[in-house]
Amino acid sequence: MSNTGYLKRLFQAYYKETGVEVPVVSLFNKREFGFIPWDKQIIMKRHMSFKDHANLAKYLTNEGPRHVYSSGSIYLQPDNTDMNNKQYQGCDLIFDIDVDHFYTPCKNEHDIWYCMECGENGTGMLKKCPKCKKLKIKSLTWICEDCLNIAKEELMRLIYRFLIPDFGIPIDQMKIAFSGHRGYHLKIENKEIRTLSSEERREIANYVSGNNISLDILGLTKINEIIYGLLGNNIGWPEKIINKIIEILQQYSDDRIRLLLTKFGLHKDIIRSFLNSKSDFLQMISQNKDNIWNIEGFGLKNWSTFLNGIISEISIEIDEPVTIDIHRLIRYPGSLHGKTGFKVQELYPDDLDDFNPLNELNEKLDPIVFKSKKQITQKLEVLETKVPATKIKGELFGPYTQGEKIEVPHYFAIFLLCKEVAKTI
Amino acid sequence: MSSTFNLLNKYPWLPSLKDYYSEIASKDPSEFVSEAFSNEFSDELKKRIIELFKAAFDNLEKVSDYKTDKLNIYAYLLINILLYVLDNQMIANRIANLYSKITYDQLIKEKNDYPIYDICQNLGLKVRYYEPPISYGKIIRKREGEYQDLKTNFTIHFIDYLKLASNLRDEYRKLVHNSISGGYVFIQKKRIIRLIQEYVRNKLLIKKTEDKASLKSFLEKILEIQGFKDLFNKILNAWTERKEEFEYVFKINLDDKEDLLTLYPPCVKEILRKAQEGQNLIHNERLFIVWFLLALNYPVEKVVDLFSTLPDFDREKTTYQVKFAKKKQYTPYKCLTLKSLNLCMASSYKDELCLEGYGSKEPSERKKLAHPLAYTQIKQYRASKWKNNTNKQLGKENE
Repeated sequence: MSNTGYLKRLFQAYYKETGVEVPVVSLFNKREFGFIPWDKQIIMKRHMSFKDHANLAKYLTNEGPRHVYSSGSIYLQPDNTDMNNKQYQGCDLIFDIDVDHFYTPCKNEHDIWYCMECGENGTGMLKKCPKCKKLKIKSLTWICEDCLNIAKEELMRLIYRFLIPDFGIPIDQMKIAFSGHRGYHLKIENKEIRTLSSEERREIANYVSGNNISLDILGLTKINEIIYGLLGNNIGWPEKIINKIIEILQQYSDDRIRLLLTKFGLHKDIIRSFLNSKSDFLQMISQNKDNIWNIEGFGLKNWSTFLNGIISEISIEIDEPVTIDIHRLIRYPGSLHGKTGFKVQELYPDDLDDFNPLNELNEKLDPIVFKSKKQITQKLEVLETKVPATKIKGELFGPYTQGEKIEVPHYFAIFLLCKEVAKTI
Repeated sequence: MSSTFNLLNKYPWLPSLKDYYSEIASKDPSEFVSEAFSNEFSDELKKRIIELFKAAFDNLEKVSDYKTDKLNIYAYLLINILLYVLDNQMIANRIANLYSKITYDQLIKEKNDYPIYDICQNLGLKVRYYEPPISYGKIIRKREGEYQDLKTNFTIHFIDYLKLASNLRDEYRKLVHNSISGGYVFIQKKRIIRLIQEYVRNKLLIKKTEDKASLKSFLEKILEIQGFKDLFNKILNAWTERKEEFEYVFKINLDDKEDLLTLYPPCVKEILRKAQEGQNLIHNERLFIVWFLLALNYPVEKVVDLFSTLPDFDREKTTYQVKFAKKKQYTPYKCLTLKSLNLCMASSYKDELCLEGYGSKEPSERKKLAHPLAYTQIKQYRASKWKNNTNKQLGKENE
C-alpha cells in the first residue's frame, strides 16, 4: 500500500474512534469547511458546510482527509460557491504564529535547504542561494522543542502584553490551539470584533507586529541639534519601547548587549560608545523627567536603527495576512495535521505555560495521538538525502540519510511518513 | 425645549432624530417633500439649500450665516433626498465634504464637552468621559523645545475608533501611534470631533443606486411638487455651469500641448481619481503626489488645487506645505517603496509598462521599471516617437 493510502486509513480509523470528541466550534453550521484529501494533486475542497457535528464526524470517518479547515467567518450560506452570495455576517479575529515565517536559531540545526540551480546545500533559513544567488531553493523544514517554545512564547506575549492590557480582550473570548505542526492559532470570538473590516484588522495587525511605526510620531526628534528620544510615561508603544530598553540595560551583560546591537545593525564603535554611556542612559530613561538622548556618535539615524531593533524585540511575529483576511480558512480544532499526524490541540490559556507538544505529559492535551501501549515499531526506508535529528517523547531519533532502513515507534513513523521523507517497507 | 431637541436642530444627522422628530423623519419621502414645500418657510428652506450646493460647487469650506434652528432638520433631510435623486457621486462627495466641515466648525464652537459626549452616546459610541482629565504622557513641542502634558477628558473604545478612523488613514491616527489601554484609545477632544466629522461625511456619501427604475419613478413623483422642481432645476443649472471645471480639473498640461494624464503611471492616476472624487488621501499618498507633480514642474497653485476637494482641505496650510516641499526638492517614492506602502497600482490597472517592463520586445531582455518618473519619461518618449513616425508617414504620403 502507498504511504498516502496507509495514512488515509490511519486518519479514517482515528476519526472513527474519536470523531465525537472533535470539538464543535461556535456557530458551527454557519462556518464554511474545507478539506485537502490525500490525492497526489493538492486541491482544496471548500465551500462545504455541515448542519451538525455528527455529519462532520461522519465525513471525517469516511474521507479521512489530510487537512481539515473551517472559516473564521460566519455566513448565512456557507456552502455557496460564490463568495459574494455566501451572505457574510462577520469574522472572528485570528492570529497565526508559525515559526515558518520567522527566524529561530535552531533552524541552523534542523532546516535543510538545497539549491535547485547549482546544487549547493546547507542548513538554516534563507531565500536565495548564497553561492549562485538564485531563488530556486528547496527546503526541508523541521521542528524541535526550541522553535515550538519560541512560537509559544510569542503567543503568550501576544496575549499578556498586547491583547489583554492594550485591547482589553477578556481571556475567555480567546480560543487557542496548537496547529499540529509549527505554531499556534488564536481566535477571538467577540460579537463586536466580528464586525471589523479587513482594513480595520490591518490596524490591529500593525499594532501587535509594530509595523509601519513612525519614530518621529512617537517622539524621536531633533530640535536645535539636540536629540529628544521617547518618553516611558507615554502609554502605548513608547512605554513598551522604554520598558524594553530598561530591561535590556538592567538584565543583559555587556556581551549580550553587544551581540544584540550588532544584530540591529549598529557599528562596533557606536556600540562601544553606547556601552560606555549605559548607566547614565539607564538613569535618564528610568526617571522619565526629560528625554535628551545624548550619546557620542548617535545621531537620528543611529537612534532610529537602535529603536527599530528594540521594536523588533517587542513586536509579535504574526502571519499578518491571516489576521487581515476575512475569508481565510484555519485548521479545525481536534483534526489531524497531514504533515505531522499530530492533532490540532485546543488549549486554555492556563495550559500554555507547561504545554510541550513534542513531549506533553497531560494525556488530554497530547497532540501526538498515534501512540500504542504495546510499543509497536515500524520499519521504514529513508527517502530524503538528509533527515535531521528529532526529539519526540523524550527520545532522540536520527539523523538519517537517504536509503537508510530504520525501525522506529509507530508515532514517529507516522510523523516521518506525513513529512514524506520515508516510506514503509 | 430639552437639550436633545436643541442638539438635533444643530446636528440633524444624529440617529435619535427618528425618535424625537418622528413626525418629520419617519415620513414617506414624497409626503415629506410635499409638506416641506407647502409650508410658509419653504422659501427660506430653498434659499439655505441652494446656498449650500453653490458653496459646495465653488469648493468653499463654509456657508455664511449658517443657522441651527428646526429648519435645519428639514434642510438635512431634503439634502439626503436631493443627493439620492441627483445620483451623482461627484456632487455627493462635494456636499458630504462641505456639510461635514460645517459640522466640524459647529462642534469646535461648543463651549463645553457635554454636547460632544452626548453626541457620542447618541451615535452609540463607547466613549468614556473623565473629569478632571486624565494624563497619558507628555510630548515635546517642536518649535519651543518645551514639554507639554498629554491630558484628555475622552477615551474611545478601539473598535469604534478603528471604524471611524481607518478611512482617514492618516499617519497620526494609526492605532500604532496612539495610546491605548484596557481597550480604550486616549483621544483629544479635537480629534474626536474630527472622527464625528468623518462619520457625518460617510453618512452623506450615497452608494450608487442600482434600482434606477425606482429612482426614476420617485423623481417623477416629487418633480410634480413645484417648489421642489424649482430647487432641483436650480441645483442642476448651477452644476451644469461648474461641471466642466470639475471634469477637467486634472488635465493640466505642462506645455499646454499634450494631455499628461495619459503619461501618468497607475499609482498617480489612482491618487488623482481619489482626489477628484473627494475621497480622503492618506499621508503617504499626499506626499507622493506632491513630490511627483513638483518633479514635473507643476506650478504650486495647481498642486494645491488638487487637494481642494479633500475633506480636511486647508488652503493656507496646504500652500505652505507644497511650497516647503518645492524648496526641499524631495524625490518622489520609487516603485519599491510604493509597493511596500501598498500604493503600487500596476496590477489593479493591469498596466503593461509597469508589469512587463521596457527596452526590448523580448520579455527576458526587458528592464524593470524602477521609478514612476521613468514611467512618464518612457511614455513621453514613446508618444513623441509615435508622433514623429506618423508625421514622417504623412509626409511620405503627401509626397
